[in-house]
Amino acid sequence: MTFRQFAYRNVVRNSRIYGAFFMASFFSVAVFFIYSMLMFHPDIERGILGEVSLIGMVGAEIVLVLFTLFFLYYSMSAFLEARSHEFAILLHLGMEKRQMNKLIFLETMIIGSGSIIVGIIFGFSFSKFFFMIVREILHLEQLPLYVSWEPFLLTIGVFTSAFVVISFISVYFKRERKLLDLIKGDAYINSTSTFSQVRAIYGVALILSTYVLAFIVSHTSMIGLTLLIPFSATFGTYYFFSDSVPFFLDLARGKRKFHWQRYRLLSLAEQTHVMMDNVKMFFVVTMVSTMAFLSVGVLATMSSYTTQYDRLNPLGLIYKGDVDNPYEGKHINSLRLQLEDKGLSYHLSRFVVVKQTSSYTHNEVEVFRESDMNALLTSFSYPMLNLASGEAVFIPYSEDSLKKLKNKVVHTVLEENSISLTIDSVYPEIVFPGSIVSVNSIVISDEDFVNLIKPVADEDIVQPSYHLFTFYIPQWMETKEIGKDIDDLTTNEYFIKKDKHSPFYFENAGLNYSYILATYSLFTLVGVLVATVFLLAAGSFVYFKLHTSLEREKRKFDVLKRMGLTDTELKKLVNRHLFPQFFLPWGVAMMHSAFAFLMVQSILKDIANISIVKEVFFAFGFFVLIQVIYFYLIRWRYISHIRS
Amino acid sequence: MPILQIKDVTKVYEGKVTHRALNQLSFEVENGEFLAVMGPSGSGKTTLLNIISTIDEPTSGEIILDSMNPHKLNATELAYFRRRQLGFIFQDFNLLHMLTVEENIVLPLTLDQQPLEVMEERLASIVDKLDLTSFLHKRPNEISGGQAQRTAIGRALIHNPSLILADEPTGNLDSNSSRDVLELLTKINKEKQTTIVMVTHDPIAASYCDRVLFIKDGEFFNEIYKDDRRQMFFQRILNVLSLLGGGQVGDLSTIRLP
Repeated sequence: MTFRQFAYRNVVRNSRIYGAFFMASFFSVAVFFIYSMLMFHPDIERGILGEVSLIGMVGAEIVLVLFTLFFLYYSMSAFLEARSHEFAILLHLGMEKRQMNKLIFLETMIIGSGSIIVGIIFGFSFSKFFFMIVREILHLEQLPLYVSWEPFLLTIGVFTSAFVVISFISVYFKRERKLLDLIKGDAYINSTSTFSQVRAIYGVALILSTYVLAFIVSHTSMIGLTLLIPFSATFGTYYFFSDSVPFFLDLARGKRKFHWQRYRLLSLAEQTHVMMDNVKMFFVVTMVSTMAFLSVGVLATMSSYTTQYDRLNPLGLIYKGDVDNPYEGKHINSLRLQLEDKGLSYHLSRFVVVKQTSSYTHNEVEVFRESDMNALLTSFSYPMLNLASGEAVFIPYSEDSLKKLKNKVVHTVLEENSISLTIDSVYPEIVFPGSIVSVNSIVISDEDFVNLIKPVADEDIVQPSYHLFTFYIPQWMETKEIGKDIDDLTTNEYFIKKDKHSPFYFENAGLNYSYILATYSLFTLVGVLVATVFLLAAGSFVYFKLHTSLEREKRKFDVLKRMGLTDTELKKLVNRHLFPQFFLPWGVAMMHSAFAFLMVQSILKDIANISIVKEVFFAFGFFVLIQVIYFYLIRWRYISHIRS
Repeated sequence: MPILQIKDVTKVYEGKVTHRALNQLSFEVENGEFLAVMGPSGSGKTTLLNIISTIDEPTSGEIILDSMNPHKLNATELAYFRRRQLGFIFQDFNLLHMLTVEENIVLPLTLDQQPLEVMEERLASIVDKLDLTSFLHKRPNEISGGQAQRTAIGRALIHNPSLILADEPTGNLDSNSSRDVLELLTKINKEKQTTIVMVTHDPIAASYCDRVLFIKDGEFFNEIYKDDRRQMFFQRILNVLSLLGGGQVGDLSTIRLP
């Protein structure tokens, strides 16, 4: 048996021990490969998702590699620790330190190359499925499977070097211990309880103040304070696990009446031990889960925004111009020609909007004519307006305004032409996007409209009325290219000659939507990746830690069984042992992200006028479900290990 | 009246290599007796202890403990039986290292949901007897081997079991601690009339007992009773042991230890 054969057999015959490490690396490889497949996709390289998405994906891949390195290093050292007894035997038999390092290196490379191969095969077979999902989310026409050498080469290159680096690092940082201690194998940790009461209070106080900060930010919009939040949250969380939790456990253990009860004696002692031992792990798991929650939450928000976009922007193209706009005829004609060229059906409505002053608010009000409005409503097949002289309705500019204006009754006079009106309802659908109509827009009857002769009296208003052309296009998502020249012109007019008033304004919902979709797709691609990997890693950290202490736990339960522990009691004890390890970090992470979203929600409310409560709840519920499944899965493995 | 009866117990381990660990072994243990079971390695001592402690089942034959057959109970009843009737002392102590000495001792009572007052009262009396007062709040890895074994004895005694099973209790101890532990066991046996079955390799440890039972290859070999003088008893144990060793050393003169 050569040395290489020895290493090979070590791996192959110890599949139970290596299984978890193999799974961890294999999954990382598969995720990385699938993303590389997407990144190198010819369609995406041609830029259908925009340049930003591509850069974002590269960034995400780099983050993923760094995180994978850390994750694999962690699991690697956990497994070396679990095998310390085996290494002790080898050293005892006279193996050199150098040979042992070589053994570890060889073993890592065997597992590594195995997981790279299996991971790539798995990744490749699932990439079509993944492409289908991406296509659905991003509303792409098609995203076919392709074969190219780039993703393969990248994955193999990156992970081969990652495994080399990891095996060197883990050998280098392996704890030096005496051979004698290694042979005894019982690495029971002298957990000298070193928590300080001050830091315990500090930890809780920091976390609480973070929450208060988040609350303040959301209510007073002191955005500057936001910068403090990540720091206080990080330090608070660390102290919480290193000192506060042991402190509370110690308090509980001080009370005999409470402590000397059934399983509490055992489980509290165990918890103290576990907590003290794994402060860093709990901290990392908490932070990582927080990030996973946040990225999924952001994703849910984005998706709700994109689905609401259609409703908030019912018109395909909108052209707004002054009465004396010199380009008007040319532009409208060119838009019509372009639409016809593309074979898109459209319905053009033309509005003359007159500005007047309302006696009710003494502010400017934009007045639309009933027949103009009805022409547009017909194309939407919305109910038509039927107004008598002296009647008017509000035009809603947002979801909120619909509710606000619904029961409002206003009696007003258009001052310049002394037309008295009663505005008693709001049109029940959003017809114009918020950017086009002012907050004071009404529709009046044709009879009244004819009498609007005198222009608005306000000196500041240069243009007393304007023309509005709306194109209702059922296939509005395909209008991206239409009116690009006009759009460029608007942008130029606006940016270059800032001082000069532009005579027209053009809005293309399809184009805007494509921008939003690009941002959304960026977040989706990055967020899904980050969330999956982080979530998986967070669970695996706990599992690896459990795995390392399995032998010790088994012996403990053997003693307890001899002492008369029933099977149900054993299960309960295991529950109490595992439950906090799983749900404490996740619970804290959940709290953190809940407050983060509280903050984001109130900021978004001001800016984009969307509510994310439902989405966030849904995302969190999904996470809880995954966690519970994961908990039972690992509990099942754990109990069967202990019983064997 | 015998508290423990072993009747024709046979244990066969099936597997790739079938192995007969115990073969038609029968003996009885009287209430209040201190019995040592001796035998060479692989003679089935540990199997016997496992069967008595009900974590292993005999292939045939039966065990009567306190006039009932524990192997007829279901799993939960068995656990309750062990928890109330049996106390265990192990070679490597098997204390739970995250509990303090005090907590280790009261563990059987907390599992049995005894009220706090009972626990504290029993703890106080036992701690006093075992001389553990000064390190009640230490962890098992902060105390010496002798102290750890005394803690384990405390844990085995606190629920007043009818039978204590000790597996090489002095195997990991130096001679002084061994003597302490053995004298302690003898004292407990005398004062509280607790029945103890101890498996051991050590003839010195065996000489503290009332009776020594020898088994070889899973079968009964011999038994001898205590003399007035421990020295004589020890000598006779050595004689049997040399016989037990088999033909090759049987004709040698007995070993004399200083």
